[in-house]
Amino acid sequence: MYLVAHIDQAICSETACRLCTQYCPEANTILYDNAAKTAFVAVDRCKGCEICVGICDDLAKHHAIKMVMITDLENQFEMSKEGFRPDHWNGKHS
Amino acid sequence: MSVKNISITPGWEKYMTKEYQDLVERGPYGKQKKVSEMGSFKEVLEEHPMCAGCAMTLFIRLTMVGLPNPEHTVLIGTAGCGRLALTQTSIPFIYGNYGDTNAVASGLKRGLEVRFKDQAKDVVVMAGDGGLADIGFSAVMHSWFRKERFTTIMLDNEVYGNTGGQESGMTERGALLKMAPKGKMFEKMDMMGLAQTAGVAYIARLTPTNPTRVASVVRKAVMIAREVGPTFIQAYTSCNIEYAIPTPKVLDDAREIEAKRYGFTEIISDEAKAYLDSIDTSKKVKK
Repeated sequence: MYLVAHIDQAICSETACRLCTQYCPEANTILYDNAAKTAFVAVDRCKGCEICVGICDDLAKHHAIKMVMITDLENQFEMSKEGFRPDHWNGKHS
Repeated sequence: MSVKNISITPGWEKYMTKEYQDLVERGPYGKQKKVSEMGSFKEVLEEHPMCAGCAMTLFIRLTMVGLPNPEHTVLIGTAGCGRLALTQTSIPFIYGNYGDTNAVASGLKRGLEVRFKDQAKDVVVMAGDGGLADIGFSAVMHSWFRKERFTTIMLDNEVYGNTGGQESGMTERGALLKMAPKGKMFEKMDMMGLAQTAGVAYIARLTPTNPTRVASVVRKAVMIAREVGPTFIQAYTSCNIEYAIPTPKVLDDAREIEAKRYGFTEIISDEAKAYLDSIDTSKKVKK
C-alpha cells in the first residue's frame, strides 16, 4: 500500500488560500470545491510527492494536509470514476 | 486547432472518454484562466508519466495555464523529460528531432502566418537544457538572429535527466553527477547573455517558486512573440532524481537556488515594452 495526500476539510474550509492547488505538479489532482470552500484530493492521481504538505505547513501555515495510507481513506474521490464535474462535488468527498 | 475542432459531433458524446468530454465542456478554451482558479477548471494537461514531485512538471502545468490561447498554440519539443508531459496536453505537439526544434518552429510559424492570416497562431518550443543549449544550440541561436517570432522555453534541469545523468552545458561548474563523477569542469553557459547578444525581444529567467509569476511571464513571452520578435524563458526545473532531492524538499531547493544564484530576471526590449503597454491600454479602453 502507499501514501496519498489527505486534506483536513475542517481546517481548509476556514481559509481560502488555495496554494496547494497551485503548487501540485499533477494536473487536476488537488481540486477546489467552490461550494464547500475546501480543497480535496483525487487519490487516483496523487503520486505521493508531499509537496503540498510542505506548502500547507511552511508557506500557508495551516497544517491541513497529511499523508495517509490509501486503505485508511473512506469516501475518497477518484477522477477516473467520476470525471471532472464541479457541480456534483458540494463537499461530498473526504 | 480551435474550440470548434475539438467539440464533439452531436450524438457521439457517449463514445468519447470522460476526460475528453470534461475538456470540451469545462476546459479553459476561449476564457483566460487565472492561476488562482486552478483546481476548479479542467486543465489542458492530463495525467502524465513524469516522476512524482518533479519541478519540471509543475512548471509545465503552470505554463499551460499561462498560455493566452491554448486552442491556437502549437508546441514543439524534443527527446527529454519535458515531452512526457507535453504530449499529454490537448495542444498539438510536434516531436522535433534532437537539434532541430527551433528550425522546425521557424518554418511552422512562417507557414501558419501564411495559412491563417486572420488568426494569430502561437508557436512555443519547450525543450530541456540539453536539447536547446547543447544539441539544438545552432538552431536556437540562428532562429534568434533571424528574429523568428516564437517563444523558446528552456526547462533547465542542469542535467541530462532522461539518459542517466550526463552533464550538460547548463550544469553548474563542480556539480557531481552519475556520468560526471569528477564534477563538471566548465562554467554554466550564459544563455541569457547569448539571447541578449542575439537581440531577443523578451528574456526571462525564473524558478517555479511563484505560480502566478510563471503564468504571467509565459503570457508576456507568447504575446510579445506574436507581434515583436523572438522570446526566451529559462526556467530552473530541478531533477530530483539525478540531484537526489527528496520530493518534499523540491520547492525548498528551488527557493534556495533562486536566492543563491538563479533569481528572477527579465530583460525586455523597448519595442516589446511599448507593445505590452499598448495591449494593456486597449484592454482598459474596452472596459
